[in-house]
Amino acid sequence: MDTTFREVSSDPRTTQLPLSHLSLELGHLYMDDFAAGPGRLREQFARVKPWADAARAAATRTGGRRPRISTCFLIDDYFTRFSSPAEVLPQVLAEAAECGLVIDYLARESACAEVGAVRPARLAEARLVQSPPLGSNGSRPPATEVGWLSNGERSPSDQPGEAMQAAAGWQPPREIEARRHSVFLDVELWDEHEGRRTWSCPFLAAVWQLLRLGLLRDQGQEVLAPVPREETFPASWDSLPPLVRLNPAADPFAAYRTCSVLASRFLPIEHAVRVILAQWSPEESVLRQIAERAEREGLAMPDDVTDRINYVFHAPS
Amino acid sequence: MLIFAISDKGGTGRSVTSANIAYRRALPGADVCYLDFDFGSPTSAAVFDVPSALRGTEQAGLHSYLRGEVAEPQRIDIWAETESAGLRPRPAQAGQLVLLPGDRGGGEFVLGSDTVRRCADLFLRLEEEFEITLVDLSAGRSYAAQLVLEATALPELSSVTARWLVFHRWTRQHIIAAAGLVYGDRGIMATGASRGHERDRLRDSVRFVRAAVPSPSSPMFAELRPAQALWLSICDEDLTRLASEHKLGPMLTLGTVPLDPVLQWREQLITDEDVLSSQVANLETAQAFADLAAALTDDRRWQSPL
Amino acid sequence: MTRPSEPFSTVSPPAGPDLLIGEVRTALLQHSVALPRAAAGQLLQLRHGERVRTSERPSGQAVSPDLLTGVDCPLPTASGRAVRGVGTATSRAVLTEGRLLQASVRVRIAATGGSLRLPWGHYLARPGTVEPSGRLAGADLVDGHLSADRLPGGALDLGAIAERLLTDLQGRRVLDRRAPFRSRRTRLLWTATRAEPGGDGPGALFTIEDGTLRTLRLTLERVDPVAVAAFCEDLALHDWLLTTLVQLVERSGLGSAPGPEPLLRLRPAVDHLLHLWMPGARVDRALAPIWAGLETRPGFTRQWAATVQRIRDHLALQAIGLPAHSYQGD
Ligand SMILES: Nc1ncnc2c1ncn2[C@@H]1O[C@H](COP(=O)(O)OP(=O)(O)O)[C@@H](O)[C@H]1O
Ligand SMILES: [Mg+2]
Repeated sequence: MDTTFREVSSDPRTTQLPLSHLSLELGHLYMDDFAAGPGRLREQFARVKPWADAARAAATRTGGRRPRISTCFLIDDYFTRFSSPAEVLPQVLAEAAECGLVIDYLARESACAEVGAVRPARLAEARLVQSPPLGSNGSRPPATEVGWLSNGERSPSDQPGEAMQAAAGWQPPREIEARRHSVFLDVELWDEHEGRRTWSCPFLAAVWQLLRLGLLRDQGQEVLAPVPREETFPASWDSLPPLVRLNPAADPFAAYRTCSVLASRFLPIEHAVRVILAQWSPEESVLRQIAERAEREGLAMPDDVTDRINYVFHAPS
Repeated sequence: MLIFAISDKGGTGRSVTSANIAYRRALPGADVCYLDFDFGSPTSAAVFDVPSALRGTEQAGLHSYLRGEVAEPQRIDIWAETESAGLRPRPAQAGQLVLLPGDRGGGEFVLGSDTVRRCADLFLRLEEEFEITLVDLSAGRSYAAQLVLEATALPELSSVTARWLVFHRWTRQHIIAAAGLVYGDRGIMATGASRGHERDRLRDSVRFVRAAVPSPSSPMFAELRPAQALWLSICDEDLTRLASEHKLGPMLTLGTVPLDPVLQWREQLITDEDVLSSQVANLETAQAFADLAAALTDDRRWQSPL
Repeated sequence: MTRPSEPFSTVSPPAGPDLLIGEVRTALLQHSVALPRAAAGQLLQLRHGERVRTSERPSGQAVSPDLLTGVDCPLPTASGRAVRGVGTATSRAVLTEGRLLQASVRVRIAATGGSLRLPWGHYLARPGTVEPSGRLAGADLVDGHLSADRLPGGALDLGAIAERLLTDLQGRRVLDRRAPFRSRRTRLLWTATRAEPGGDGPGALFTIEDGTLRTLRLTLERVDPVAVAAFCEDLALHDWLLTTLVQLVERSGLGSAPGPEPLLRLRPAVDHLLHLWMPGARVDRALAPIWAGLETRPGFTRQWAATVQRIRDHLALQAIGLPAHSYQGD
């Protein structure tokens, strides 16, 4: 006789999310853009349109199936609060429509930091695993600067020196994956004032990518579920669900890959995003789920998270 | 329990005495470890006669550990590695006697932000295993002393008993200097209080140890002329008065180690064999070490004298 | 050297990695009482957003989420051959009955890796795997890992990762740091390799190297990292229990010192350790025969039972007022 014994608490399960082929981001909206008036919005969407079309056209290697593509748009309500959803959103939607763009999902940037009791940014931070410089054998903890993450080794600064030891002199920082010469980048992840943490823009942008890639979980559960739009938009940002499905016919929000069409002034931010995500360790069970589904759909998936992210940068900003 | 051994001046007999205390404590069965925090001149290995550490541990000593270069400092099992025939083999009832040496050529160093954290981790780690962790600090106002004052002020260590032994010789200068090290400017009390130690508690955890004290009644002075003997005992009385004036009186003195002929010539552990069989060392010296070893945990000796 | 060419094998090689190496460090939790389940969950919550796995049968156990540590360093080869390894080591903490804390670190050594280091994301997609640069003889690495203490520094040091994890947990504020008795941490260095067809069959070699260091070489049909790590944790736990109990008995003077003193000194062991003995309870079925083998030689449970019986006999004699030591011959 064969007996089986299982305790649920010792063998937890991980939720699966529906996935599109591509999550196409049509832009970020900051207060300055909005303050510049509807003309600026229209100008932005007009610039995005051809590249968005190109991104759609490129997303055809879907194993013969209809490409599932969802579009999204991010509004900053984290660093600055401006106006209200009731005023801003109809304008955004109207200008997008004017340029022939459909926004399927709308997210508030603060959702990357906090959704009810869930803290997506904390979840993302907990999975950072620093890239080890040559010689890391586990004997010392990775060199960290609290709240910062770099793509290499920092210049040694004021290492505690011993008495009467020779001084070392200046040493350059070094990018770990440098090809001979370094492009060293040190990213501030957050700062804290009076015990209140403010996440940096690149860190929230990295979380945004993870949410769109369907890679984040909280205790195995979904982190950010889309909520269908109401007839009218509320008068305060807090009353707006963090992720709104504007288009009832939209494909799933999360996708195998992402593409963001952004003004080129976002390039440094997204470089930082890549430095962060290159050191972000996905949950094995989530990674496996996605890989298995991709295989069933006949899709080739890169296992490196940063290889799932695509960009179009357009100028001027 | 953490025991910090400190002295204002070098050459007081701090290292030799505290190593002997550790040894005497381990003999009847306590697990004891001895940390060489005398960063400027890490030499305790000589007293324990462990040449492997004398040559210096190339990398994995306390210096490397505190700088974060290794996860664990090297440990030397004295019973197994000492060259001293008198210490081997490990006596039947004896507990562990472990030395954590400094690095070879390691110097006194400036504290980095993580040094205190690492030091506290080490103390907690050793508390798990050893009844007594004896820390031999550098002489005077040192980074080593500052380091352990900061580490023991951390909340994680609040439940760990820490006691201080301040070593001094029996001379005017040494008495005044020892008092200054404890009660004076930038002394243990002042530094400790500024790092968050509670004043009364810290003060009550300090005791003095008189090292290498020539006792007028000792056999070593049997040959003195009457005038010399008289002069010696007048000096002794003067010093006793001076010590009391400087809050180093008998109540705050944990023990007195007599001047010993063997120790005068050589830094070493005094074994029973040295005292009983070969009789090169004085019985009183061994007895003084044993008494000090017992006094470390004798709470009556550590009650507030106030 | 030339060899007769071998016919192509039609059987695909068995699934699973070729080689695992690991280390388990075991310590008494620095707390006065067994840590209650909720507090244990909190203690082992090492990663925000990930679950602490708990089980209540046959004894209470909580397992932390896995943590990863990036490494890029020479692998510990016994021959001293320089083989660089890049990847991550998996570590986790296990708390049993709220009493015994373990840090368990393991690495799967991939069959081959490229000679160049790849982007870090490649390694993060293979958590717990280290890829060697170039060829690596399994036996060379097994021997090297198990004698890591004697190798020059700089090579992969799983013990340091385990040690840091233990120290971090033992220093947490939820613990009152008043453990019922003092004890030494023990270390188990282990390796698991796949049994080669025609080579040695499945088996285990367990060695007591010194007072606190043990090594275990496993040769298995199938090398499942999670199951093997759990087995090693179980073995390390029981080895710690036995080592500690025997040492406590030795030090107590049981049988040599007169009066109730020795038993009083053994009191904490009776209160806190005796009920923890449950060898093999969580071990994967495939590995159960190995436990059974170790029970035959050296016979963990036999020695444990004998020691416990000895304490109980003394307790019983004490209870009826007979001086136990007078029964001991010399
Ligand atoms: N009780 C003693 N009697 C005689 N000499 C002693 C005694 N204690 C220590 N010494 C000697 O004094 C010298 C300095 O001792 P040491 O322990 O190295 O001092 P410190 O550590 O304070 O610098 C050594 O040569 C030592 O052998
Ligand atoms: Mg000294």
